[in-house]
Amino acid sequence: MSDARVHHPGLFRATAGAIAVIAVALPILGGVMGGISPYFANIIGQIATFALLAVALDLIWGYAGILSLGHGLFFAMGGYLIAMHLLKAGFEFSGITPDFMIFMGWSEFPGFWAGLEHFPYALALIVLLPGALALVYGFVSFRSRVSGVYFAIITQALTYIAMLLMFRNDTGFGGNNGMTGFAEVLGQPIGAPSVVIGLATVSVLLLLAGFLFAGWLTGTSFGRLLIAIRDDEARLRFLGYETLWPKLAIWSLSAVLAALAGALYVPQVGIINPRLLSPDLSIEIAVWVALGGRGALSGAVIGAVIISALKFWLSGFAPDLWPFILAGVVLVVVVVLPNGLLDLRGLLRQHPALGNILSEKRNG
Amino acid sequence: MNFLPRFRLILPVMLAALLGAQAAPAAPRDDLLAPVCTGAFGDQMAALQSIARYGVEGGGDAAAWALRVVEAFDGRALRCGADAAFIETGDALLSAATLEPVSAAEAGELSSPSVNLRLRAVSASAAGLLTLMTAPDPAAREAALKVVSKRREAVTADLLERIAAAEADPGLKQAVSELHASMLLNDPDPQNRIQAIRAIGQTASQRNLSLLTQAMSAEKDPQVAAEAQSVIAGIERTLAAGKLMSVLYSGMSYASILFLAALGLAVIFGLMGVINLAQGELIMIGAYSTWLVQEGLRAAAPGLLDYYLILAIPVSFAASAAVGIAMEALIIRRLYTRPLMTLLATWAISLLLINTVRVVFGSQNLEFHQPGYVSGGVQVLGDFIMTMNRLFAIGIAVVAFVAVLWLLRRTMFGLNIRAVTQNREMAGAAGIDTRRIDWMTFGLGSGLAGLAGLALSPLYNVNPNMGANFIVDSFMVVVLGGVGSLLGAVLAALGIGQINVVIEPVYGAVAAKVLVLLLIIGFIQWRPEGLFAPKGRR
Repeated sequence: MSDARVHHPGLFRATAGAIAVIAVALPILGGVMGGISPYFANIIGQIATFALLAVALDLIWGYAGILSLGHGLFFAMGGYLIAMHLLKAGFEFSGITPDFMIFMGWSEFPGFWAGLEHFPYALALIVLLPGALALVYGFVSFRSRVSGVYFAIITQALTYIAMLLMFRNDTGFGGNNGMTGFAEVLGQPIGAPSVVIGLATVSVLLLLAGFLFAGWLTGTSFGRLLIAIRDDEARLRFLGYETLWPKLAIWSLSAVLAALAGALYVPQVGIINPRLLSPDLSIEIAVWVALGGRGALSGAVIGAVIISALKFWLSGFAPDLWPFILAGVVLVVVVVLPNGLLDLRGLLRQHPALGNILSEKRNG
Repeated sequence: MNFLPRFRLILPVMLAALLGAQAAPAAPRDDLLAPVCTGAFGDQMAALQSIARYGVEGGGDAAAWALRVVEAFDGRALRCGADAAFIETGDALLSAATLEPVSAAEAGELSSPSVNLRLRAVSASAAGLLTLMTAPDPAAREAALKVVSKRREAVTADLLERIAAAEADPGLKQAVSELHASMLLNDPDPQNRIQAIRAIGQTASQRNLSLLTQAMSAEKDPQVAAEAQSVIAGIERTLAAGKLMSVLYSGMSYASILFLAALGLAVIFGLMGVINLAQGELIMIGAYSTWLVQEGLRAAAPGLLDYYLILAIPVSFAASAAVGIAMEALIIRRLYTRPLMTLLATWAISLLLINTVRVVFGSQNLEFHQPGYVSGGVQVLGDFIMTMNRLFAIGIAVVAFVAVLWLLRRTMFGLNIRAVTQNREMAGAAGIDTRRIDWMTFGLGSGLAGLAGLALSPLYNVNPNMGANFIVDSFMVVVLGGVGSLLGAVLAALGIGQINVVIEPVYGAVAAKVLVLLLIIGFIQWRPEGLFAPKGRR
């Protein structure tokens, strides 16, 4: 439990710097000089949203020790809300009827879509709805002191419920086909190279903001409280701290970050359907964090980037191989590298020979 | 005492009929045939009906004969001589009574009996009735039943009852019985109708209910209508009870599979604090090894194919147990101090197992042979049929429950498991090889999942992704039942199984799952360590 987690201020600065460089380079290279194709920029944008999602999970798992296997739920809530906004705006301003309404034979939107064509309202919902759900769910769970694997399991149950409901066609969320066919975002054609690069840049910038914010937050006394909760919650309670509120705060904040990531992911990938809510995706988020090293924000970003990039690359030519690789990565990480890739440095330090081989290779 | 004289009158007649039937089989056939040739229209009709009755009541040879005669009449091949009837078949002439060939000289001068449309209807009806009784091909009998239900000139309720009793095909038997019942219900005599209603009320089924409701909607006689009302109410009560039982029964069979899967989860979690997300895949391995046993038998010993479900019991247990032990030895034992990491590790193993099976066997559903002992069922009450495949699953769960109970309570291994569960360090200090207990328990828990896979193979689809369908519910069983409590697991499995099947028909499968999950999320808030958690201050 109380394995002393090394702080990596150098690594943190390096990661933040790299994200900042990408955020600056994307519009310059992509928009002005044409050095990055919109396709590639789109992939960078998607990976950035995944990295933000990983940061969100790391905040609660790595720092507060609460494993959520249901972060796909908040990610998908953000995604669904932005998809609803895009479709509603397309309908109100350009007269495009969404596919799922044609499929269901509906001529008008269900009542709860009202007002979603206005972006500020949609954005408010993206923050407020997942935040409110997390607040309520977290409050009842943490107050009852549901913790550890029990909490992980019931978060997964909640996500599973959402998936089952979303697969129904009559709920007004597009059913099993989901929602697609987005035409415009904020009045701009969604497929235009400048919009694609713009969305990707915004994603990277949001990742940078979320990363820096999380880094600042975990350095405050509040962050220390979280680590104390992770390491020995019972002792903290005996010392007179009420652990409910810090847990609730970080849990809700994490949910909002995940929803924002989802809201940026969906316009870039162009579709949302209930498969985003499958238990597997939510577990995969935990795998990113575990691979990178939980309790270190840079680790979460690195893990998400490596696995997502690998997935994009492999799905091109060997999609059947992907599950085997993912399973192998997880098993290696949990058995050999308990703190994820960040352990590699420790390994190298323990075995100088290994380090020499690696550095010789690099030099040669 | 005025019934005695009548009784005296009837008795000799019955005796004579009995004796006559036994003594001379050929003589009554002549008597039956005579009016067909000589009688007036009414006598002819009665004669054809009597021939049909004679055939149906006599069965076998008599039925074949009667069919031959009415078909000959229907096909205008019946000829009448001076004092006997004959059947003309192309170039030969048969005696209608004995079906023996006779020479034209013996027969003498022949005439054709008068045939009109109404007589043809009687003969067609009689031929249909006799075909329904004698044809070896079920399709031919079904066609005959259609004829009979349209042309009822020679059909009476008691004849249909006999045919229904002799019918071997269950579907046809049901159809004939229904025709019989509907004939009785349309009887002009109200007393007979009441009899019919009571007779139908004997077997409570949906079909009989609709039959009665339909017939009684037009009923004028108040006495009959009242009788029908009470019988209908009785059938409805029985049907409701049967439906309830049938829901509980399918809930129990689902619960027994959940129980087998959850028992393994609970034992492992109780002992090592490891939540095995691959338990669903161990179920799949059990089902696939059952299939492999079936295919092996099909290739090596086709005679034993029917027993594959029995022979697969040790195989499925051993296969899943072996996979479980390998998991424990290679991965899990390194993670005992990090329970959240075991979640990820076992998830990765499940991913690996699913995809390996997909690559090796393909992702289609497996075909399972249904041996006699798991097909069909026993009708218990109303429309409730206790099907054998579900009984098989329940039986395996009960046997496994008793075996595990015995293992935990009465053997040294069980004592060791309980000791390590309660206090690992103390148990180790007392000389128990905790490592050995760990992997053996993991094997036991995994093997139970394998048995679940075997038990569900006659009931559910078997494919590489099947584990996902059970894993969520089995978790809920563990969570609800509490850790390491056999009784808790049984009650939780029964509860979740029943809730699923009770809600499903009313609100749909999705609503059932959602409600179960919501109930459990709510329940966890109330009792975070499950129903049967050891008491303690947290």
